[in-house]
Amino acid sequence: MRQIITSAVVWIAACVIMVLWLGAGKPSAVVGLFLVSGLAVGSLYALGGIGLVVLYRATGVLNLAAGAIGMAGVMFAWQAVQWGWPQPVAWIAGLALSVGLALGYGRGVAPRMEWREPVVKAVATLGFALVILGVVSFLFSDDPRKFALPTDKSAVMILGLRVTVTRLIVIALSVFLVVAISIALNRTRIGLQMRALANNRRLSALIGIPILRVETVAWGVAGLLFGLTGFFFGDLVRLEPAVITFLVIPCVAAAIAGRLESLPDVLMGGLTMGVIESLLTLSPQLKNVRPVAPFVIAALVLLAMNWRRRISITGEE
Amino acid sequence: MKTLVTAGVGAIALMLCASAASAETSCGMNTGEAATGAPIKVGGIHGNAAPGDFSASTTAAAAYFDCVNANGGIHGRPIEYLVENDQWNPELAAQAASKLLDDENVVAIVGNGSFVEMAVNANTYRDKGIMAMASACAVSECFESSNIVSTNQGPLPSTIGAAQYMVEDKGAKNISCIGLAIPNVGPWSCGAMEWYMTSNDLVGSTVLLNPASPDVNSGLLEAVASGADTILVNLPAGLAIAFLKAAEEQGFGDAYQWASSTPLYDKTVPEALGEYWDGKIYVNAELTPWDKGGPDATNWLAVMDAYAPDGAARDTFSQSGFVSAKFFVDALLAMDPGQLDSREAVTSAITQIKGATSDLLCGPYYVGEADRHMPNHAGTMVLVKDGGFETVRDCYEYDSPYFEPIFEQEKALGIR
Repeated sequence: MRQIITSAVVWIAACVIMVLWLGAGKPSAVVGLFLVSGLAVGSLYALGGIGLVVLYRATGVLNLAAGAIGMAGVMFAWQAVQWGWPQPVAWIAGLALSVGLALGYGRGVAPRMEWREPVVKAVATLGFALVILGVVSFLFSDDPRKFALPTDKSAVMILGLRVTVTRLIVIALSVFLVVAISIALNRTRIGLQMRALANNRRLSALIGIPILRVETVAWGVAGLLFGLTGFFFGDLVRLEPAVITFLVIPCVAAAIAGRLESLPDVLMGGLTMGVIESLLTLSPQLKNVRPVAPFVIAALVLLAMNWRRRISITGEE
Repeated sequence: MKTLVTAGVGAIALMLCASAASAETSCGMNTGEAATGAPIKVGGIHGNAAPGDFSASTTAAAAYFDCVNANGGIHGRPIEYLVENDQWNPELAAQAASKLLDDENVVAIVGNGSFVEMAVNANTYRDKGIMAMASACAVSECFESSNIVSTNQGPLPSTIGAAQYMVEDKGAKNISCIGLAIPNVGPWSCGAMEWYMTSNDLVGSTVLLNPASPDVNSGLLEAVASGADTILVNLPAGLAIAFLKAAEEQGFGDAYQWASSTPLYDKTVPEALGEYWDGKIYVNAELTPWDKGGPDATNWLAVMDAYAPDGAARDTFSQSGFVSAKFFVDALLAMDPGQLDSREAVTSAITQIKGATSDLLCGPYYVGEADRHMPNHAGTMVLVKDGGFETVRDCYEYDSPYFEPIFEQEKALGIR
């Protein structure tokens, strides 16, 4: 808990410094608009990052196909709505496709590389992402399309910005998931097994932990999280297969901000990245480099956490 | 009774003939005989990969060439149309040009559509003395090079055209242009819009969106902070829809006037935008509206029906590819048949095109010898309405300081 409070202080301090620096001389109402706008984007980074960390902690796979898995789900949900399916059925079908894709990879491909280096596992998922993107691009023309949820119509005013209920749901969902998954990992048997696997795969196998079953659960949960991320990206960002596929990149940055293990840090890091990226719009000199903000922050976190440590390509000290 | 039946059958037959005649194609020499001589090699390059497909222009050009080949070709010789896909990759774009120009020895490039190809190959076309009659251009190099001439307008004239309509017909005084943060696209086209506004003692500003950034809200807020009364969206359709969705989220639909350059003139856009934007957003069309009618418009659809693959797009780029191919064929037919394999002679024939007209274009088409080519700088304004588009201003020419050197060229060629 103490560590979480320390992290929160650091992340909030980073935001405050940026607000004071970039918002200097600007009306506070304008700065407030960009602050709230950034929180809305940052919550999406955090949501994606949470799924990545859950899977990485249990299986050691940094899944770069997270965006593509979510994208396939939301594209299918959109298509199902066009076919006239009732919206809730279409949403569930889309999420089910995402879970199915994650489970298919988790059971079919991932076990064949279980003893390979983390880098190899990550690159393999990139290949999977490109396969999904290729298939979806083949099946769907590049016509403009929009994915909307009924909650887009309702909104509340926060610091002068109209924030839709969908965005509030994303923020609430991110917070809820961090709490729920943290409890599940610490209090349930499967959570214990996941932590054991993340800690030492060889020893876990020796003491009889059912690795395949635990990993399947992890891939399924992660698939659902990727599906939800794609679902909300499709609604709140844009419904373009390539854009959603590669939005995994800032999500990876958010996951790194949580050192690939701390879910509260992923949440706070993701929100901070969104806020700083948004606030940079206020600077005429820096606004063109806004998209690199998440990576600069992730790089700073990496530098801080690896201070005076030696890490090999396999990730082992 | 028998007479009645015969008369009825006769009437139906006549109607069928009339309907067949209305869909008849008219291509090149119109002989009805297939061309059988040695082929004349012509190239085309499009970009088709995630995130966009610009192949509609080469598809339409290919359909027209097939039609020409089925109708006597070029003095009995068919056109062999070789199409390459640059996949939005500069390296592949350069390889495609090298393959067409050096290995296949094509005499001209026709129907190109890409964001990448023209920027990469503009100097190659100049050095190799070949003309590219492009159809789906989007970057400055396409319009400011000696050996590329495009039938479509690209973002710069289309943005100015949209701004001009909003100023002249809607009383806009301060326009914020939302462009892509790519130097030869957004700053180039929105910068020219600002120049148009300041030249009329009005205010213009630019907001650049990075296509890699998922956050369009900040761009929207920046546009609002500029004090604009009109927001002009100059983005690819997918990003434009995301931007307008953010504006819808903020309830800005009625607080500002809204306009867009051509990318939103797409049959699928009104449905994607939804009811909220019905009657709210004015869009500039680079070529004449698809349903306007006219001999070339009718022929374009007939050629597409007869020679294009099933499901091929019938959009602005398709119109543009058709027109480029038609003007190219007209230029070849006017040449000495003995010179058709000479790239130099074909380039010369293309540069001599002057005052060509089509009901698919609002103004005359020409090439000429110049360091820049932008023959298409007149368009139509449409309004998103009732799930489609309604023409609110028919063909009008754009007026801006940017076009002054182009107007000078036209005076020199005697078409102004």
